[in-house]
Amino acid sequence: MSRPGNKIIQAKLVLLGDMGTGKTSLALRFVKGQFFQNQEPTIGAAFFTQILSLSEATVKFDIWDTAGQERYHSLAPMYYRGAAAAIVVYDISSIDTFVRAKKWVQELQRHGSQKLVMALVANKCDLESKREVQTEDGEQFAQENGMFYMETSAKTAENINELFYEIGRRLAKVLPPRQTGINFKNETQEHGRKFFCCST
Amino acid sequence: MYGTKSKIDLAFEYQSQIPVLRPSIHSRRANLTVKFQDLYGFTVEGNVDDVNVLNDVREKVRQQGRVWWALEASKGANWYLHTTIGQGSALTSSLKFSALANAITLKKLIKKGIPPVLRPKVWFSLSGAAKKKSTVPDSYYDDLTKAVEGKVTPATRQIDHDLPRTFPGHPWLDTPEGHAALRRVLVAYSFRDSDVGYCQGLNYVAALLLLVMKTEEDAFWMLAVLLENVLVSDCYTNNLSGCHVEQRVFKDLLAKKCPRIATHLEALEFDVSLVTTEWFLCLFSKSLPSETTLRVWDVIFFEGAKVIFNVALAIFKMKEDQLLLTHHVGEVINVLQMTTHHLFDPDDLLTVAFDQIGSMTTNTISKQRKKQEPEVMKELDQRIRKLNSLKADNK
Repeated sequence: MSRPGNKIIQAKLVLLGDMGTGKTSLALRFVKGQFFQNQEPTIGAAFFTQILSLSEATVKFDIWDTAGQERYHSLAPMYYRGAAAAIVVYDISSIDTFVRAKKWVQELQRHGSQKLVMALVANKCDLESKREVQTEDGEQFAQENGMFYMETSAKTAENINELFYEIGRRLAKVLPPRQTGINFKNETQEHGRKFFCCST
Repeated sequence: MYGTKSKIDLAFEYQSQIPVLRPSIHSRRANLTVKFQDLYGFTVEGNVDDVNVLNDVREKVRQQGRVWWALEASKGANWYLHTTIGQGSALTSSLKFSALANAITLKKLIKKGIPPVLRPKVWFSLSGAAKKKSTVPDSYYDDLTKAVEGKVTPATRQIDHDLPRTFPGHPWLDTPEGHAALRRVLVAYSFRDSDVGYCQGLNYVAALLLLVMKTEEDAFWMLAVLLENVLVSDCYTNNLSGCHVEQRVFKDLLAKKCPRIATHLEALEFDVSLVTTEWFLCLFSKSLPSETTLRVWDVIFFEGAKVIFNVALAIFKMKEDQLLLTHHVGEVINVLQMTTHHLFDPDDLLTVAFDQIGSMTTNTISKQRKKQEPEVMKELDQRIRKLNSLKADNK
């Protein structure tokens, strides 16, 4: 699958966002090309892998898809620890999910890896008639926070591949080849970490 | 509401109508993945071997039923409902002896499985749900559901969001009646204990309780006794602190009982709670086939939450050789998922869980929990403070 002479990147990617915003659906669309209208809620987290072949590099994604309900927040550091990329998802038809997405971004800026590639994803863009969050608001927040912004629909598959290709391209720029995603962070930060411990 | 209950009973008749599956020659030849319905109406995917295993399980369930009926004939009707160790100090010594003998028989019997038709009665009594219910007026559940009807809270909104997403495609749960029954149980509970409210994961637990107990009211009381008496407290509240404690206890136990696996996974930087959190919060309902899950629950309701540790350890133990060969987090998860999804024969799992893991008393587990609690609370507290300082910085 990898092209000869091409560098191989192993990257941990985490999906964060409020419940019901479509995190699992995004992952399933990208990994298996599937979509289920009634996707079962994720408890704890789910894990997927997918390989993307770009002209710059071959990216092996380890995708951690997390539970969205607020009380599961206390588990999140375990999932985003050592992540090279994060997708923060909200649902364009719910302003509350956008508020929650902003909180995730702040937390990642504080506790995530320094070189974390972050995407702000406005999902369910097929629900245009129910839109509560305007494109400009999403774009502006993304820009202010050094993230890239994309409107997607896991249902119609709009922009799903584009999203992961863009993440792959950005990872190829910042990541050295053949890194294991888990070790991505500065080694000194990794020592002595415990279950909930965030890098400080 | 009473109308709904009779509909549940009607909906359950499908169970007896499912014919025994005989894999066709074609699927045998091609070794295709086939879809079939299991004992509780869930559609599962598996190969021909899995279908055969499931047919064997059906037969074993029937045999086990005959054992229970034979005991009923010799020991008297409902003998098991009066059997608890330590009860009846006023009894004469011979009666005490027979009570103890019954308790031992029952413990063994339950590990071999409660026949599905007796499950509602046995669970309700042995879990303490019957006792819990008897302390309040008979109309408690009906009064509660009526009182909260039409009320909207964050919990009810989340419940509504999850109803169609709970075991979608199930022939009864995924119908308007199924959704309505599950909704009433979850909403009623969210008002009974506002600290728990609604926690994702409970939807799967309550759904399975409804399937087994057959009436909403009994499912509600089972959920109540489970959260309030059987499981460690605060598993599902605000920051899932109880669940965090259980995860730490589990890690210690894994290191003790399966040291080679624990060392290997640590070298891969694989935190076992990445997979076990779901097992503990959904009580395996999202990972194991339905009859296997319910066989685990049979023992949980009789012996307590320590059983979850036995079963979780057993899943790792069963695949020790394969796990030691993994090089990557993804492989570990694949091994564990393939294992849990194909554990169609409950005895394969329970034999390891109770015969090979070694016994752990509730007392030992409680001590472990006490040891972990302060550390968990400290870390959760630190985290909250950090997040709050984050908010303050951004003002």
